[in-house]
Amino acid sequence: MRVLVFLLILLTFGSAKAEIKVVTTYPYIASITKEIVKEKAQVDYLASGNLDPHFIVPKPSLTVKLRNADLLIINGAGLEVGWLPPLLNQASNRKINPWSNGFLDLSQYINLIEKPENVSRAMGDVHPEGNPHFHLDPYNVPIISQEITEKICKLDSSNCDYYKNNLSDFKKRWNEKLAIWNSKMASLKGVKVYQYHKLFDYFLKRYRIISIDTIEPLPGIPPTAKHLEELISKAKSENVKMILQDVYHPIKPAKYISEKTGLKIVVLPHDVEAVEEAKDIFSLFDTIVERMNK
Amino acid sequence: MKKYLLATLALFKFSYAEEIEELKKELEKQREIIIKLQERLNRLEQKQQEVLNQTKEKLQNLQRGNSIDRMLSNPFSQAKFVPDISLITDFSYVSRSLTDDTYKSIQIPGFNHGFFRDGKSPLNVERGFNFNYSEMYLTSTVDPYFDLVGVFHLHKDGFEIEEGYFQTRDLPYNLKLKGGKFYSEFGRLNKQHHHVWNFADAPLIYRAIFGEENLNETGIQLSWLAPTPFYLLTGFEVFQGDNENNFNRNGFIVNTKKEGSGNNIKISDTEKPNLFTFFIKPSFDIGNTSILTGVSYAQGKTRINHLEDDNPHAQSGDTKIYGFEVTARHTLDSYRYLLLQSEYIYKKFDGTRFGYNDSGDIQTPRFVKKQAGFYVEGIYKFAERWRAGLRYDLINKNDVFVNGRNRNLPDNIYKYSAMIDFLPSEFSRIRLQYNYDRSLFTEDLKRKPNNEIILQFNLAIGAHGAHGF
Repeated sequence: MRVLVFLLILLTFGSAKAEIKVVTTYPYIASITKEIVKEKAQVDYLASGNLDPHFIVPKPSLTVKLRNADLLIINGAGLEVGWLPPLLNQASNRKINPWSNGFLDLSQYINLIEKPENVSRAMGDVHPEGNPHFHLDPYNVPIISQEITEKICKLDSSNCDYYKNNLSDFKKRWNEKLAIWNSKMASLKGVKVYQYHKLFDYFLKRYRIISIDTIEPLPGIPPTAKHLEELISKAKSENVKMILQDVYHPIKPAKYISEKTGLKIVVLPHDVEAVEEAKDIFSLFDTIVERMNK
Repeated sequence: MKKYLLATLALFKFSYAEEIEELKKELEKQREIIIKLQERLNRLEQKQQEVLNQTKEKLQNLQRGNSIDRMLSNPFSQAKFVPDISLITDFSYVSRSLTDDTYKSIQIPGFNHGFFRDGKSPLNVERGFNFNYSEMYLTSTVDPYFDLVGVFHLHKDGFEIEEGYFQTRDLPYNLKLKGGKFYSEFGRLNKQHHHVWNFADAPLIYRAIFGEENLNETGIQLSWLAPTPFYLLTGFEVFQGDNENNFNRNGFIVNTKKEGSGNNIKISDTEKPNLFTFFIKPSFDIGNTSILTGVSYAQGKTRINHLEDDNPHAQSGDTKIYGFEVTARHTLDSYRYLLLQSEYIYKKFDGTRFGYNDSGDIQTPRFVKKQAGFYVEGIYKFAERWRAGLRYDLINKNDVFVNGRNRNLPDNIYKYSAMIDFLPSEFSRIRLQYNYDRSLFTEDLKRKPNNEIILQFNLAIGAHGAHGF
């Protein structure tokens, strides 16, 4: 009997413990969120960090994560438009519907770059909102963490002080790291690079690295032989130093250019878990800075 | 000594006083300069403030939309609320071994009288060029409680509302209610639109059992994502029962004599709504493979009225349809995957057939149909823009009993298909498909082998929502 009562108490406590459940679309958002909530909330993410963030398979199992979420945090700026809406529709979770309290679109708080004046699909897969890969500017990360904290404070006001403490601690550690990254990246100022997709533009812009061209001729369109020849001939005249290759596009075109020009290929993670070393938001930038300086 | 000292001191004092005088003058000069500078600074600050105010004003005007465009536009404009609009066009070139006349006369025995009944024009109908359709999609959120979807099927001889339904956004417990005209959740392929199919045509068993439009019905659906650790979608539907091959709902009057001189037998309408379906679809992942399975069931009364035909006949009874599905998708990387999809559908009809014998007298035997078949297709997306696939279709059960006697209709009705897809972008698809089709028979049950090649162009413009799994 006593055991039963104990179990009952345990059960009621178990269900009474209203731990909020946060689901993010990408691992980097989950990593920042974990810095804020620590063990006070459950944090899960939908997309694998090593896949193309534009094309995530809308597996039914992902709706299970969305089904019980109290908060959904998305990157926004059109990055999830190709895979998230059907999952949200299927999950039928009214708490996380867009524009409801349990929904946060980070792109709303960032000054997006490369916002096109006009859009046409003739330009390939352009984002009318601007370049959505803003988290790769390390100066945007504190803004993101701030917005996440404010949102979570609204949903779980009783722990707000705790979250705010974690935020200031996170920002402090981030600023220390920023100083290191800034000094390491200073030597690369003015260096010219190619990249596969306009994935690293925020990072490059921050450190005054010049992106001369992309391996894909238009966003979302695979490289043509003609375009690759152009890149090869331009590499010398423009004095390009390296090719920044992401982990999910085929590396063959980069290798081809490298063979013809001797350009160095640098494989960079774009998200947490894209490569083994990038375990969280700190080591993601550590890895990028380190690999670019090699 | 003292004198000397005093003298030098006096001298020093004098020169000191002189120096102070000079310093004072200098100081005065400096003060003047400072005052002048201060004045200049004030002027500058004032000017700066003016410029700032002007800029602010300009910006405000800009934001307030004082531009000519705004002034000319409608002050009650609701342009921001325009729904997502898209248009999808399907166009094909067909090369077929059967002539168009033969193709129009053949049928899948025991299932239907061919694909051209009631003025229906199926896809890829003629040899040569076919404009299959342009489909217009309009979708938007109505308010915090509903979404609304409209799909309009436009083809060369008509306009059809393919789908028009609302669905809820705000029900608790992961429930969703859908209402209007829409594709039933029965099976896997049924609710998918033609432009997301893996082949240019529907699997044989779908065409045979449901006809050209699949199970597209008017009614409601309640679905529920169960709180299980894995994905489990379940729900039911209540429909009016529009499907002409299986359900229908309007009764008919049969005369006991073919020429109409006898007594009338009245078969009443079915109860309305007439069609009920149920589905349960679990899904789970094994590593990089996602598996979606499902069981579906549909049941309703049947009223088939072909009394206007040359050979007048009608059917009344009950139809039950069972569907089993499995889809496995193995992700290789961001752009490559392997997909295996299969469905088995079983149909049972039990009722009465009304027809006439050679002397024109009515015959009303008990009529039972037990029919089943499946398809299995494998797709390999082997590059960012390329997919290839194979499909095998088989109808292996085709038992039609008249008063308990099997009519021994063909039950080895099959088809092989192969396709290769080129996807220039997410919005366009060019597909080449070959069909080795052994499913078509003449009215006197002679198999008409058919080989066909379909070159399909499917293109989309506008804001079209993403597709699910």
